[in-house]
Amino acid sequence: METSGATTSDTEVSKTDSSMAVPSIESGELESFSYDDAIVRLFATATIIWALVGTLAGLIVAVLLVMPSISEGIPFINFARLRPLHTNAAIFAFAGNAIFAAVYYSTQRLCKARMWSDVLSRLHFWGWQLIIVLAAVTIPFGITQSREYAELEWPIDLLIAVVWLFIFGGNFLMTLIKRRERHMYVALWFYIATIITVAVLHVFNNLCVPAGWFKGYSVYAGVQDAFMQWWYGHNAVAFFLTTPFLGLMYYFLPKAADRPVFSYKLSIIHFWSLVFIYIWAGPHHLHFTALPEWASTLGMLFSVMLWMPSWGGMINGLLTLRGAWHKVAADPVLKFFVVGVTFYGMSTFEGPMLSVKSVNALSHYTDWTIAHVHSGALGWNGFMAFGMLYWLLPRIYQTKIWSDKLVSLHFWTGTIGILLYIIPIYAAGLMQGLMWRAMDETGNLMYPDFVETVQSIVFLWWLRVLGGLLYVSGVCMLCFNTLMTWFARPATYDVPVYTAPKLSKSYSEAKPAKDTEYNEVPMLDLGKNMSVWAKMGWHRRWERLPVTFTILVTIAVVGATLFEAVPTFLIRSNIPTIATVEPYTPLELYGRHIYVSEGCYNCHSQMIRPMVAETKRYGEYSKPGEFIYDRPFQWGSRRIGPDLAREGGRQSSFWHWRHFENPAEVSPGSVMPSYQHLLNEELKFDSIAPHVKAAWYLGAPYDDEALNNTSEVAYKQAERVAAEIVSQGGPANKMDRKAVALIAYLQRIGVDLFKTPAPEQPAADAEAPAEGSEEAAEAEAEVADNASPSNASAG
Amino acid sequence: MSDTPKTDHAYDGIEEYDNPLPGWWKWLFIASIVFCPFYWVFYHSGTKGRTLEDAYNVALAENTRLQFEEIGELKLDGPSIAKFMAKDSWVKVGEAVFRANCVSCHGRDGEGKVGPNLTDEAFKNIAEIGDIGKVIANGAGNGAMPKWSNRLHINEIVLVSAYVAQLRGKNVEGRPAEGRQIPPWPAPPADDEEASDDAAKEDGAAKEADAEQPA
Repeated sequence: METSGATTSDTEVSKTDSSMAVPSIESGELESFSYDDAIVRLFATATIIWALVGTLAGLIVAVLLVMPSISEGIPFINFARLRPLHTNAAIFAFAGNAIFAAVYYSTQRLCKARMWSDVLSRLHFWGWQLIIVLAAVTIPFGITQSREYAELEWPIDLLIAVVWLFIFGGNFLMTLIKRRERHMYVALWFYIATIITVAVLHVFNNLCVPAGWFKGYSVYAGVQDAFMQWWYGHNAVAFFLTTPFLGLMYYFLPKAADRPVFSYKLSIIHFWSLVFIYIWAGPHHLHFTALPEWASTLGMLFSVMLWMPSWGGMINGLLTLRGAWHKVAADPVLKFFVVGVTFYGMSTFEGPMLSVKSVNALSHYTDWTIAHVHSGALGWNGFMAFGMLYWLLPRIYQTKIWSDKLVSLHFWTGTIGILLYIIPIYAAGLMQGLMWRAMDETGNLMYPDFVETVQSIVFLWWLRVLGGLLYVSGVCMLCFNTLMTWFARPATYDVPVYTAPKLSKSYSEAKPAKDTEYNEVPMLDLGKNMSVWAKMGWHRRWERLPVTFTILVTIAVVGATLFEAVPTFLIRSNIPTIATVEPYTPLELYGRHIYVSEGCYNCHSQMIRPMVAETKRYGEYSKPGEFIYDRPFQWGSRRIGPDLAREGGRQSSFWHWRHFENPAEVSPGSVMPSYQHLLNEELKFDSIAPHVKAAWYLGAPYDDEALNNTSEVAYKQAERVAAEIVSQGGPANKMDRKAVALIAYLQRIGVDLFKTPAPEQPAADAEAPAEGSEEAAEAEAEVADNASPSNASAG
Repeated sequence: MSDTPKTDHAYDGIEEYDNPLPGWWKWLFIASIVFCPFYWVFYHSGTKGRTLEDAYNVALAENTRLQFEEIGELKLDGPSIAKFMAKDSWVKVGEAVFRANCVSCHGRDGEGKVGPNLTDEAFKNIAEIGDIGKVIANGAGNGAMPKWSNRLHINEIVLVSAYVAQLRGKNVEGRPAEGRQIPPWPAPPADDEEASDDAAKEDGAAKEADAEQPA
């Protein structure tokens, strides 16, 4: 069995050097070197620990959804605070460390060189773990950007940029430059693409203006922020969860199967098409939203084109196993890989399908997306990482794996766990989508009460808990097996020394044979030349020039990005101005900050799509011009609760107060947890100013009063809201509670569209000199009267 | 597979075959690329009726026709509410509107929660049946009751008013009675309405055509 092969493969390198037919003999002086496997051991251990943490966090949030009351109103363990923790732990901690383990193990061997700097390797390891710990501390405390998979605030983002690009990227590139293998194998191409693209995505998505150490305001607003965020979000999937794992597959799968890779040509074509096409596809997360339609169409078309490039990886993986299927039957490592690659194929078929607009109209905001994501994350990323770990463990710990049976058991538990997770959630997604749009024969919504659509899928959420439980127990088996294997490690690790010739400066590529099968055929030379070109000798040249290769990848990625981003930012007609849309008042802005920190976007969208079933349920569909002061945009991607884009004025302020206190009381069957803490925690009016200043700096037109007298202005509005709550039957003297700011914000969402433009008066709500409750009432009445009845027919 | 040619590449023992691209893969890839310009031109060459907005407006007009073709555009007043209060099939439509928008404050059966009980005999802001429509359209109680005129179609307001009106007297257990006793609703207009109904229908159809223009 391959997993028990212990250290045999470590000697392969030297065998390779002496016996493999190397095309052009390197004649440089022989150098001896050894591999840094200690760093691989570190990353592998971290992978296993974070796998447990990430999946366990997933299990916890799954339980919170079916039993929201168990959080007992403790804010740190609410679903909306913990869900980002789960996604970040799964992606950046678990998958991230798995990538690094793969990169550090395979790159050294593929380059016949130790990592360039052991110090940088360690800095990378500890820096990354620090980032994870910082994330785990800040997110539950509500220190978050509330932009999916980019939740971390700016100081941590800076640290990520340094650790990723300079420490990891620098170390990796220098290793490539100092390598002793002339050509770079396809796995390395994927690693290059990963490092470059993730750095570009991370930096440009997270540009922000700080408002204190724990809060940054995105330099992009509304539609453009949404565009950038999903350019990032989609390509985080592409270049953090796909390309590095393809690199991993290209190294570990042929190694474990001991079979040659199916097709070199396919590697080239699918690599470049993947890198170039993927980057365009982000807008498919924003179909039917206020994003300009042309961008959404581009997103869809490039996703459709992406289908085959993605499948190229699957084919190359699965067909590499031709003639080795008997090994798959016996070796759990290969079983993990086969199931992993199969799930990759399924998800990358489903992805383009979901990006087709008419399918997306049904699937978007539903649990379908969650099922899709988990077939990718649990199936592809999880199983590829597990397969790699089980292959690595005996090699890095230089002993037999403790129990092969437990590996098999993990495989089966995990596989059944995935199926038990995704099948109910696919069903739940379909049910949601169909119930939301169902109309009876009289043209009315069949399920007008949103809670009804939630309640009907709760039992499927329970099944998910069961599936998740199985998957987590599989991870526990991995932990235990690793621990037992580690106990059996030798007292000192054997560090074999290898020799290989240094690469000579001068090198002439063995020219690809000029003769083609068309040599004797009477045809144009052009055709013959194309036939030679198709043999890809030109690409072979790139493979020995790592810097050139890196530049080419950068050009492909950045070029494709600019094609889409430049028009999004420069064409003014993308976002038609709405005269009545004004900046949030200081209190509302701070309320929005609370909305953002609580992570409300995890359950509530703020984007009504132009569909009748949707506008009947929520109100007039969202317009691009409504979001110009939204930093970050909060359109959301999921509706566990109803959309809030027209929440302003929909409920009384006192209703909101009661609803925060105990959602299930005012809305029986609601799965929203209590936000009692917002009713208790003090609203510190003097902490509002930095938020207003940052928004003003980014172009929101605030007057001097709002800028210099921020806390008074906010306090006056808070008094008005509190008075309103009292007059509606609520408790007195609550103007200094956080809930008041949040209610002020909620009452503002989506109302500007219906205001009648004030003639010549830039008077924002904030500076209305409302002092007594009478004036307050007047101001409120004014806001209420401003709604134009001409829009009534749209509802 | 021993007959497939291998490349001369080897990396840490990993070799590569020189297999050509699978035919089906290559042609599906080409087909997906060829498809794109056609799709783009179809939807983005400016032909009327192919944008999302156009499609939405068509669907909305169709929905409005489906819902209200029979009754046209109603007037928000006491007589209309009283009239539809007696028509069970239209009260059902009002109930759907109620369930979509009102239950969070008034309860599933109108028994009252944050908002008052609608099933008893006491009313806070209502003296006669037409006031129900006014309160729904314009709101009341300093925002305690939100205004719905920019969220609901005028017919929806009339019908939900009719639904609310017929809740009176059901006395569902919930919030205690608030406000004052008011005289009973007027009897629904007699059946001679049927004749004028047809007239109203035609009148409505004309208005309907106007309403189809995007607002």
